[in-house]
Amino acid sequence: MRLKIIKPGIMTSIQDLGRWEYRSEGVPSSGAMDTLAARIANIALGNAPHEAVIEFTYGNIAIQTQSDMLLAYSGEGGTFFIEKQLLTPGKPIFIPSGTVLNLVNNPSSVYTYLAVAGGWDIKDILGSKSTYITAGFGGVQGRALKIGDELSNNHNYTDTTKKILLKLQGKKINFPKWHLNKMSFIYHQTVVRVVPAHEFTWFEASSLLNFLSSSYELNVNSNRMGYQLDGPKLNRSVKKELLSTAVCPGTIQVTNDGSLMLLMADSQTIGGYPRIAQVAAVDLPTCAQLSPGNTISFAEISRTDAEKRYLERENQLRKLAIAVAMAVNK
Amino acid sequence: MSKIEIKKKSSDAADFNLYTLSECAITLAYDVEINTFTFYQISHLKEIIYKNPFAGFQCAVPAYASMTIFYDPIQVMQSKKLRGINCFEKISNYLSQIKEAFSANQAIKKPPIIIPVCYEDEYAPDIKELAKFLNLTIDNVVQIHVEAHYKVHMIGFVPGFPYLGGMSERLSVPRKNTPLKKVPAGSVGIAGKQTGIYPFDTPGGWCLIGRTPMTLFDTERIQPSLLQAGDEVIFDPISKQDFERIKSKENAIKDH
Repeated sequence: MRLKIIKPGIMTSIQDLGRWEYRSEGVPSSGAMDTLAARIANIALGNAPHEAVIEFTYGNIAIQTQSDMLLAYSGEGGTFFIEKQLLTPGKPIFIPSGTVLNLVNNPSSVYTYLAVAGGWDIKDILGSKSTYITAGFGGVQGRALKIGDELSNNHNYTDTTKKILLKLQGKKINFPKWHLNKMSFIYHQTVVRVVPAHEFTWFEASSLLNFLSSSYELNVNSNRMGYQLDGPKLNRSVKKELLSTAVCPGTIQVTNDGSLMLLMADSQTIGGYPRIAQVAAVDLPTCAQLSPGNTISFAEISRTDAEKRYLERENQLRKLAIAVAMAVNK
Repeated sequence: MSKIEIKKKSSDAADFNLYTLSECAITLAYDVEINTFTFYQISHLKEIIYKNPFAGFQCAVPAYASMTIFYDPIQVMQSKKLRGINCFEKISNYLSQIKEAFSANQAIKKPPIIIPVCYEDEYAPDIKELAKFLNLTIDNVVQIHVEAHYKVHMIGFVPGFPYLGGMSERLSVPRKNTPLKKVPAGSVGIAGKQTGIYPFDTPGGWCLIGRTPMTLFDTERIQPSLLQAGDEVIFDPISKQDFERIKSKENAIKDH
């Protein structure tokens, strides 16, 4: 299975669930900004969770199948169309060779993920296929995808993938009745759960109250490294310097002028700004999909609660994969 | 926010606090400033963890006075060997056991890594101005920079960028007001009391006093980053000719 990029959009790259073993050497994890969407696209095809997907930013994107393909997509950055026909996210779709798919932007969201049966055939670099553009490695030659790039799939299909393919392949576009609903996993569109971070108590009480009760708006100055959030500035009661220490995606740092910086997939491994909170991993996909001008507020939970939600989510996704396997066995 | 303190077990291992960074990471922090003792503690602890990893361990990220351990929570929770009802407890218990191994298992002092650096004009765009600012000659600057033994406290900013401690305070300068858009790979910079090396062409605000022909980061190597936290480093001044020679050798390895 092979496809060609006709219109690449502003930032299209190969991502997976990230590169987590080289942070001690300064290598960011990278990976899908919305890992939930990336995983659902793979689950819909019976793929393993870590398979690479194509990450699209906004819309204005066109791709063309160069052979018969079995694809699935997820994420709210846009909606795929074949001519006038809307394709539903979260389901395997058989598409004949030579078909053009257009991704039409959804202004209130950002990222969309396209998975292929067997996963995209990309070389592993340091244990991951994710693109890290700053250092120029991973994905396709360490860069964003451009016009004319062609991508093929891996042929080592799982049993579930084989069954889906057998059921759907033919001369026409074909898909099953079922689809996986990503929204059923979302806690809230505008409330994000956070765990107080190590320097939480370095801030004035009134600032902490503001942090937990005000709305914060995503600044246009945001990218895969970090999201700048505009709202009430936070004042410090403890003025000492933080010795640089490890940070990770989901860490909310407070810069010297009191504004919030939420670290995302390509963030540095070490930071020197005090950290007020850590976004619960299960709610980070909600943050990732914020579009500039969108607002969120924060709700405090405990670290044990955040861990519980994480383990629950993993369990739900595992069950979802089993449900897909059962659906295609019928 | 919960914190636990691991009690001092032997005279060798200093106390650290543990706190949660995320669902997938725990930080152990020493309650001190940057010093040589903490540096060796962290380096030694890192070595022991990598030799005796727990199920689900991904990496340990050292910094000035802390080290953060990343893990896969699913594997940690499934592990019967680790005692506890959540990841925090399980990893705390693991670290207590590790600390017992600490006293019995002394760190092996590794020889310093020698990094060749060319301090000649072409590769040292800021050295003239720096010498003037510090009221030194260019030769003095080079000599002071070369004399010191450096410690790699952490790797960060970009892959393979070493934060080196141990520079003479006589070379201490503030960062540039306007960072350069493109600092060439291999550039050796100074900022505050630190010195570092840029592995890639990236923006940067450090004062540039030389350049190394060594490849600091290469994904094709088993250990991609030339330097690791815990390493000790010495700079060896080289001529432009040596720079070119070593550089072409490095490129040949890279292209191989």
